[in-house]
Amino acid sequence: MTPGVAGTLDLEKLFAARLHAARVRPYLATALFALHTVESRLVPTMAVDRHWRCYVSPAFVARTPVEELAGVWVHEVSHLLRDHHGRSDRVASERGLTGPGDRLRMNIAADFEINDDVFGDGLTPPEGAAEPGMLGLPEGELMEDYLRQFRLGPYTQGLAWLDCGSGADGLEREWDLGPEGANGLTAQERDAVRFRVAQGITARPGDVPQGWRRWAEEAFHPPQPWRELLGAAVRPAASGPGAGEDYTYGRPSRRSAGLPGVILPSLRRRPPRVSVVIDTSGSVGDAELGSALLEVAAIVRAVGGRRDLVSVLSCDAAAQAVQPLCRAEGITLVGGGGTDLRTGFATALRASPRPDVIVILTDGQTPWPEARPPCRTVVGLFSRRRAARSWDEDDPEYVPDVPPEWARVVDIG
Amino acid sequence: MPTSSSVTTGASSGPAHASRLDVAADLLALLHDTATEPRIDTQLEALTLAVAADLPVLLWGEPGIGKTAALQQLAAALDLPLTTVIASVHEPSDFSGLPVVGDDPAVQGVPMAPPDWAVRLAQSGRGLLFLDELSTAPPAVQAALLRLVLERRVGALRLPAGVRIVAAANPRSSAADGWELSAPLANRFVHLQWVHDHEVVVRGLGGTWPRASLPRLDPERLSEAVTFARRAVCGLLAARPALVHRLPSNEARRGGPWPSPRSWEMALRLVAFATAANTSRDVLSLLVRGTVGDGPGLELLAAMDRMDLPDPEALLADPAAADLPERGDLRQAVLDGVVEAVRRRPEKSRWDAAWALLVRALETGAPDLVVVPASTLAALRRADWDVPASIEQLAGAVSLSRRADEAAVRVAAVAGTGR
Repeated sequence: MTPGVAGTLDLEKLFAARLHAARVRPYLATALFALHTVESRLVPTMAVDRHWRCYVSPAFVARTPVEELAGVWVHEVSHLLRDHHGRSDRVASERGLTGPGDRLRMNIAADFEINDDVFGDGLTPPEGAAEPGMLGLPEGELMEDYLRQFRLGPYTQGLAWLDCGSGADGLEREWDLGPEGANGLTAQERDAVRFRVAQGITARPGDVPQGWRRWAEEAFHPPQPWRELLGAAVRPAASGPGAGEDYTYGRPSRRSAGLPGVILPSLRRRPPRVSVVIDTSGSVGDAELGSALLEVAAIVRAVGGRRDLVSVLSCDAAAQAVQPLCRAEGITLVGGGGTDLRTGFATALRASPRPDVIVILTDGQTPWPEARPPCRTVVGLFSRRRAARSWDEDDPEYVPDVPPEWARVVDIG
Repeated sequence: MPTSSSVTTGASSGPAHASRLDVAADLLALLHDTATEPRIDTQLEALTLAVAADLPVLLWGEPGIGKTAALQQLAAALDLPLTTVIASVHEPSDFSGLPVVGDDPAVQGVPMAPPDWAVRLAQSGRGLLFLDELSTAPPAVQAALLRLVLERRVGALRLPAGVRIVAAANPRSSAADGWELSAPLANRFVHLQWVHDHEVVVRGLGGTWPRASLPRLDPERLSEAVTFARRAVCGLLAARPALVHRLPSNEARRGGPWPSPRSWEMALRLVAFATAANTSRDVLSLLVRGTVGDGPGLELLAAMDRMDLPDPEALLADPAAADLPERGDLRQAVLDGVVEAVRRRPEKSRWDAAWALLVRALETGAPDLVVVPASTLAALRRADWDVPASIEQLAGAVSLSRRADEAAVRVAAVAGTGR
């Protein structure tokens, strides 16, 4: 509870609004109740800091109806749950953004990210809530993306008063109590609250909006860039036992001369042969394919593969001829139509000598081989989140097979 | 210039060179002359605690951010000699032992001779073994390291119990030619993310490095710590059997910590050590999440938070003396627990005690927390139970609830006209 001058802040109204917010958004109740309210006359409306304190202006509470106050509660707690202060700090150091103007832009971008999906369904947006439509921007994007798309100017004039505190943009405010102040949550406690909220959402996803479900999935496992993951999958496949570098007693080590009587293994290097099978069916876009192919080539070079050992095979319903990468500066990718990657597997394995690794780039809408092929398999899977779930117009219930257990699967894009 | 004249006129160039080097040495000494200041350093505390618990630690961090310097500080603090072995420049036989052919292999066998650093480490009986560049070692070397880390064996030699093992690896984003850690090797380590603190680096380059206060185990609390750790881990795993063993399925989580009976045992040990050393939850959070992974680690910490909450039965037994937690979400969890306890064993006296608790909660904290438990409790009323007098004191909560209801009606009305 707030120490201070009694009778100025209408606590009953503020808490009635919190109760309403917790009733219409039960999955946020833990986070709402974990906020510690602090009365402050310096704050224009309501603001949060990174230690989960909520600073409230008594005048703002007096003039705002309960249902709008409830919207502000949810809005402020969303800043904290989505770690906007931490993300702002990271963006600031990555892009070299300094100064209060940039922090204001971060606050606006963070508000856009929240406001396009928190209101409605029992919550009224507070007066003057910033929405991406005000600047002609699309909905449903992340703060980092919005931040690239606008500058401060005449159009943002109306948003300049906006101030959600250091919890939203990472910039310390004059009213902040700081890490030493009373009733803040430690980093571990903050994580625990966010974890409980995320757990509550994943436990009963039914009545939770899409945006919050996505947040809950990624709250503690942020998605990694696919380039790193693809590299991490191809690298061990191309360098594991049987391919690439390994130790052998078959040939004596050059150190042996100095150590008579000691048997030393030597390092033997055999560059890996990699076959890239590319799904050229109509469902995969050219730009995606091009970038993924370049990535695979770069990774193979990094593990010591020579360009002449990398071959590329395009495959739709039937496999095309194998092309070595060295002469295919511009590889012709032939195809269109449906996919059957099984023929691609078979063609790649018929090559002599046999490849050590097969990398498949596909959208996964294909039948897979029954048995495990005799080499390591990495599948780069283009995600089809925006497209319709089904790919067969005659059979809308059709769901394609998932990639088999024996392949390492990396989601691309 | 006197210096240059002394060089040209000197009997030989030897002393002149020495004096130039002396000046350089003076400058180096000045640069080395740095002070330390006490500072709370969670990651160093976590590292010390894990090393004290005799668990192998793996430090993940970008190259050049002071992992080795931290190890030197740790070795000095624990008073252990430091042995550094760069894993990526060694061969598997350096860890599994070099086969040495003797006079008669058929009779004596072929002994696997350990390398010199292992022999020296075994002779001194104690030390800190630092395996650097683990992730850039070839898979065969990693396989050989498995035995060293798990069984402490190097060839035929067994490292004594006084040797502690710490490894370091670069994250795969920065190790361009790196292999990733295999799941069995990853499961044997406590993974700590090593990040540099901007402020510490700037102050350190200015001449003042931090000196962390290292955790000390309290001999009085040992058995209590073991009981607490067993209760926390077993309580969680009994309720959540799915958490016991879960291989990393996601590509992004390979090579990191994951839960298995082995890593849960490590987590149990860490909880006991953290309890005995009375370290902060932040340190324990780093350690536990680095041992069994983020999700299971956070669940364990949440379970421990719940263990810290007052027992509903104790609260019901003496509501007047109840000490409710200050934080809203914890207070709500306690009140829900109390109502749940009444629902499980409904008796008039317990029901009355619960009302007294709600009144107390209303007097000492935010009123909106009381509304939901109060309505649930009211629904538990039996026909022959009289409403307690104290319920009138809950009027504030009732009017608050009414205001929220009115707001909901208004929102619904607006939504209705809007469509």
